[in-house]
Amino acid sequence: MFRPTIAAALLVTAIAAQASNATYTIDPTHTFATYEISHYGTSTNRGRFDRKEGTVQLDKSAKTGRVEITIDTTSVNTGVPQLDKHLQSKDFFDSAAYPTATFVGDRFTFDGDKVVAVSGTLTLRGETQPLTLKATRFNCYTNPLLRRETCGGDFVATLKRSEWGVDYGLKIGFPDEMRLLIQVEAIKQ
Amino acid sequence: MRCALPAGLVLTALGAAATPVAYRLDPQHSFVTFEVLHFDTSTLRGRIGPLQGFVEMDREAGRGSVSMRIDMSQVDTGMSFFDQRLRQDDLLGTATYPVAYYVSSKFDFDGPVLKAVRGEITWRGVNQGLTLQALHFSCRNDARLQREVCGGDFEAELKRSDFGIGFGLPFVANPVRLVVQVEGIRQ
Repeated sequence: MFRPTIAAALLVTAIAAQASNATYTIDPTHTFATYEISHYGTSTNRGRFDRKEGTVQLDKSAKTGRVEITIDTTSVNTGVPQLDKHLQSKDFFDSAAYPTATFVGDRFTFDGDKVVAVSGTLTLRGETQPLTLKATRFNCYTNPLLRRETCGGDFVATLKRSEWGVDYGLKIGFPDEMRLLIQVEAIKQ
Repeated sequence: MRCALPAGLVLTALGAAATPVAYRLDPQHSFVTFEVLHFDTSTLRGRIGPLQGFVEMDREAGRGSVSMRIDMSQVDTGMSFFDQRLRQDDLLGTATYPVAYYVSSKFDFDGPVLKAVRGEITWRGVNQGLTLQALHFSCRNDARLQREVCGGDFEAELKRSDFGIGFGLPFVANPVRLVVQVEGIRQ
């Protein structure tokens, strides 16, 4: 009697887990990372990474999740072509040696059904450091075109670029601290 | 006594005319980013620019003016197919309305610091008041340019339906937040 009960319990657990744990694929048309950094204290320079891919696993009942997003550092787009080129050089992303940056978030914090923070690591220039993205909004909806559940939101993080070895211009007044603005939407598979 | 008044006016006029400083917008640091809420879930962003134009400021007198043009076809969302869609008639309509204009002669200063610019936007045949609130503002002597540079970050909000853009409502929201980075190089 003992063994079948355990097996049945395991089976029920497995079905329950399957029911709530879902995989979502990043919607590249509604997923962007934009950085903001002060320009000599006068105005804010912004740049956006245009090419990225990734997946999210989200279990709303177990309140767990995992996200992995890879960003093509050669797709940085500031609106100033010579700046884009400089950013890809060894002074900044060193895109020739490190063409991608990766965020892996495996600690999801929930408030009810809503994700409020995702903690993990950002790997940039081969350097891996902890990073927490805080949600400024989070929501799931049924996309009327795709007829699939789509979850996403806006996230922010503040980081010190020197922790990833990006220290260009610190001595001449370019700040170390910068902000990341993340728009993300992911479609249930 | 009759000629004292005109002389006084002339002096005032000369004094006022001598003080304003002209700045040309720096195309490397002058952009507008729009933000629109998508399905109440995430924020769509697109950059338009560089902004082109001139600013005159008299920071001592607390006065200023700006005249700016925005080439709307230079929209960049990070997806070229989306940019092309945005340029069509039911959205930005860049074939018919290639340029948006922004003018103001009402600068609100707090001491030497610019706090707000109360002006008008003209776009898609609509003329509407638009106030740019400064998030911060400062001037510096730029070491590389060897010139004074003034600028900051500003924000404003408009309703796209006021400009006849109803596509995607209400799933794509009506309020559009504008985030403006601007720096002007002293001429």
